[in-house]
Amino acid sequence: MIRLRCGETRMEAVVREKRDRVEVIVEGRPFALDVEAVAPGVFASRNGDSVRTFHCVRDGDEIHLFWNGVAYRLVEEGEGRRAAQRHQSGGLEAPMPGKVIKLSVAEGDAVRKGQEILVVEAMKMENAIRAPRDGRVGKIAVKVGDMVAPGVTLVELQ
Amino acid sequence: MVNNPYVALFRKLLIANRGEIAVRVARTCRVLGIPSVAVYSEADRGALHTRETDEAIPIGPAEAARSYLSIDAILDAARRAGADAVHPGYGFLSQNGDFADALAGAGLVFIGPPGSVHRAMGDKKGARRLMAAAGVPVVPGYDGDDQQDERLRTEAARIGWPVMIKPSRGGGGKGMRVVTRAEDFPSALAASRREARAGFGDDVMVLERFVERSRHVEVQVLGDSHGSVLHLLERECSIQRRHQKVVEETPSPALSPEMRSALCAAGVAAAHAASYVNAGTVEFLLDPQGRFYFLEMNTRLQVEHPVTEAVTGLDLVRLQLQVAAGQPLAFGQDRVRGQGHALECRLYAEDPENDDLPSPGRILHLAEPAGPGIRFDSGIAAGSEVTVHYDPLLAKVVTWGRDREESIQRMASALERTAVLGVVTNLGRLRAILAHAAFREGALDTGFIEEHLDEVSPHDCPPLEAIAAALTALRLERRPSVGGVAARVPEPWENLGPWRIGEGEA
Repeated sequence: MIRLRCGETRMEAVVREKRDRVEVIVEGRPFALDVEAVAPGVFASRNGDSVRTFHCVRDGDEIHLFWNGVAYRLVEEGEGRRAAQRHQSGGLEAPMPGKVIKLSVAEGDAVRKGQEILVVEAMKMENAIRAPRDGRVGKIAVKVGDMVAPGVTLVELQ
Repeated sequence: MVNNPYVALFRKLLIANRGEIAVRVARTCRVLGIPSVAVYSEADRGALHTRETDEAIPIGPAEAARSYLSIDAILDAARRAGADAVHPGYGFLSQNGDFADALAGAGLVFIGPPGSVHRAMGDKKGARRLMAAAGVPVVPGYDGDDQQDERLRTEAARIGWPVMIKPSRGGGGKGMRVVTRAEDFPSALAASRREARAGFGDDVMVLERFVERSRHVEVQVLGDSHGSVLHLLERECSIQRRHQKVVEETPSPALSPEMRSALCAAGVAAAHAASYVNAGTVEFLLDPQGRFYFLEMNTRLQVEHPVTEAVTGLDLVRLQLQVAAGQPLAFGQDRVRGQGHALECRLYAEDPENDDLPSPGRILHLAEPAGPGIRFDSGIAAGSEVTVHYDPLLAKVVTWGRDREESIQRMASALERTAVLGVVTNLGRLRAILAHAAFREGALDTGFIEEHLDEVSPHDCPPLEAIAAALTALRLERRPSVGGVAARVPEPWENLGPWRIGEGEA
């Protein structure tokens, strides 16, 4: 059983190898596709007479897929990881690595949804991080000038 | 004088840039038989641009200020390599007058206009005044020396809302802000000043009336050191986000032949007023009534120069090198004709669904579009790291067609085959722009993305069949005996239109 997540949607799949074919069941629907590797990361999938070229690579637990002109990122989740995903830190995280160049609030401030909390500079652009909801500012874990990485709580929001 | 293409223009050219433009310049060097030298920061070790030249020299840490923006580091690299000319690309030091002067002082040829021209045009305040004096129309605004916050606030109110705040130095949309209400002005001014200080080391601002539903149309100019200035037609760059161009095209669907003549003549007049030498671009704002106003002059090669190359058949980098070597332009204005229509889409590592936030990461897989009328100028390859240190532009997709409809069709099809995996890109937005009825009709303005594509639907899930195919493919990959076929990288010139003029070898 493979558990996949795409954005907020979760799906289950089963992959079975039969003699010369791979059978895949996704969300209960079985597929027996004739897939052929044509170049590194490039595949052709035949379904009856129709052929579709697509691109697919794996990076750790992430599956990157380019299908019909659209790029998708699927995450393969192990048991237990789902519970961790549900846990909301209640804080604001940096969306990308960068440098804090401005703090617009102080601990204890009441903030409205959409209000600028801090500004992180990355790739030469200022990116405002805004309150996702109304609340009160808890602990502020960074100061102006700090380099920050994604996944680290910068400002607690209560 | 006949320009002999078989005599090398320079002994060795150093490319003081990175990414797709460094790769682009290197390709013309190869065509001309000029040995080329790349430079790279620690973050760019092994980057594509360091593999496309004959040599590659490290110039310092990832931080641009200590590598690509360091005049000393570049000069040192040029000396070490024994280069006699430096191409600055765009961005970084390309419009830095001190850099141009420093090279000249060291006996090196700078591929671009002299330092004095950069300084005059890099000061938007002074440029506005110069153009107004030369009879080139400018947007109503404020370009005074009094820069106190209070004075700017008063001037903004006088100009009338909405007002655009623009750093007098700088470019690329950095530090630019549109203010619609007086009460937002102070914080917007402060933010603009902060960005401008950080980006350009200067926080002098120009104010201009923000013309709503305006278009951005620019004229490519080319001057030699013998006093000739030509225009190479216009480009329309109205599709922007955060004041940065996303889609460009030529010819502009907004111009009648009469308007085009007037605009291009104004571009040439502006270049003469600036005593311009080498390739440059005069940017204009075109209002809904068809009036145009000078915005600024870019004293360098533009990101979007390939669309001009596609319709004129000219190699702008080659022309830059010829002019910089002192050669007179080998053709006149009457020989410059646009054939067909060209489009460029900029592929950025950014997430349109998340406020256009940059999306660094590793390129896990790249498939480049190819075919008649398609050009792909790229700075990345599979395995490249996209870091937070530099601009998130990954590549440019350029298409040419006999008419606008054909180049749009080719672009739509090319984007569908441009697979970049590993980082989030704006590909979906580019496809949405191309598919939009307003775009197809040529009804463009600088607010297009906000107006038509602001509500981006969240990441969809792939169809179940796609997931099944992916899981099957990954299972296959674990088996041995899957033959690898190396992806071929096409030369940018392979797929250009067949036109070429005045280059002496036709």
